[in-house]
Amino acid sequence: MSDKPLLIDTDVHNSFAHRRDLLPYLPRVWHQQWLEDGVGSGLKPWSPIGVTKKDSLSPNGGSFANDPHTLLEDLVERYEIDYAILTGSVSMIGISIHFDADYANAVASAWNDYLIDKWLSVSPKFKGSIIINNNDPMAAAREIDRLGSHPGMVQVMMPSASRTLYGQRFFHPIYEAAERNGLPVAVHPGLDFGPPTPSGFPSRYIEFHNILPINFMAHINSLVCEGVFEKFPNLKFIAVEGGISWVAHLMWRMDKNYKALRDQVPWLKKLPSEYIREHVKITTQPIEEPEKPGQLAELLQMIRAEEMIMFATDYPHWDFDNPKAVLNEFPRGMRELVSGLNAARLYGLEAPVIS
Amino acid sequence: MERIAVAKVGEIAEKGRKIITINGMEIGIFLVNGKYYAWRNICPHAFAPVCVGRISGTRLPSRVYEYIYGKDQQIIRCPWHGWEFDLETGEHLADSGVRLRGYPVEVDGEDIYVVIKQAVANQS
Repeated sequence: MSDKPLLIDTDVHNSFAHRRDLLPYLPRVWHQQWLEDGVGSGLKPWSPIGVTKKDSLSPNGGSFANDPHTLLEDLVERYEIDYAILTGSVSMIGISIHFDADYANAVASAWNDYLIDKWLSVSPKFKGSIIINNNDPMAAAREIDRLGSHPGMVQVMMPSASRTLYGQRFFHPIYEAAERNGLPVAVHPGLDFGPPTPSGFPSRYIEFHNILPINFMAHINSLVCEGVFEKFPNLKFIAVEGGISWVAHLMWRMDKNYKALRDQVPWLKKLPSEYIREHVKITTQPIEEPEKPGQLAELLQMIRAEEMIMFATDYPHWDFDNPKAVLNEFPRGMRELVSGLNAARLYGLEAPVIS
Repeated sequence: MERIAVAKVGEIAEKGRKIITINGMEIGIFLVNGKYYAWRNICPHAFAPVCVGRISGTRLPSRVYEYIYGKDQQIIRCPWHGWEFDLETGEHLADSGVRLRGYPVEVDGEDIYVVIKQAVANQS
């Protein structure tokens, strides 16, 4: 008999060596998701087709978008693109939602310097975005001032995921710096750390991807109603990767309410739709596909959005828009505006010299 | 009509698919459930190279919250937007009215042939 007291360990963490060890116990329908996503990250819903289009992956799984030379070949040369506005990865754009503002400031600056050094130097067709950490607006403004006059940087970049709406005064130092440097501010869906909808989290990636424009609508609504475009009359704002036709609904609804409730926003001197038309650009991708050709262009003509729309591929993502397919949707006069003229005017880009 | 030799039985048996070009036109040759199929390598959606997509099964139409795996190794997913096509019928699973363009396939001994209209075969 031992004098040693009974010893019981009530918390020992065991696990499997490989995810595939669970497969014999899991119904077949779940195998792909389990192998690729495991228990999930909690931030981003899993897609069965992944984020990158499959023909832009090298045999070892790396994306052609991760090297300036392979990107030039796979996208710019293949589609005869004159300028590629580089926006960085979705996760880098989302640095603003990082909890540690000092870390986020440092990483954003490092990315911007890397971009200038390793990408913008490779081709004059590459133009860059200044990624900022908008959780520290004063630091973000300093970063915009630091790099704003670099000829290769054409815009400021933020995620649509945010702690609060983008019209709020918290962000105004950023808009002031952007306007001072003559740069538009672009917003792109990023990793959300809050629910993508006001009523919570969608169950699956398809649901999540369907309603990404909700956040764009919320931000543009805020920017207009908070008077950002009155306070910063030269500021332009770009909604990237939200599709386009929701702008019609937003304009119509905002104008109707403005006529009833103008006294809540007495600093607005024009209809909300006019602020949107003058200050907001929208990129085409993922372009909507109504039943009949021409219907999308018709909708955009109804709201006189011809000069708001800029073509984008979203390379190398799965919802890539093929310029050879998409631009045919627009009638002749509008096609040139969407294809490049609207972007050229916004970013101050000249037509390249044909040698 | 002309039949053009595109592959040997042995090489398709090994990899399940081969993409060949006939006068500038890319066609994917597939072995599915013991039979051969030939599909044009252009997706009807946005003209992606559909034949390089991942081949797998899928979840068959079911009741709500019911999951039924089926058509193993019979479904190809376009590498861009993920449209699922049945390699036996060419039909898009979400809209049977949309389909891949296919060509008849003949097997003679060790040789696999695709049957193409004469005019196309002679294009240079």
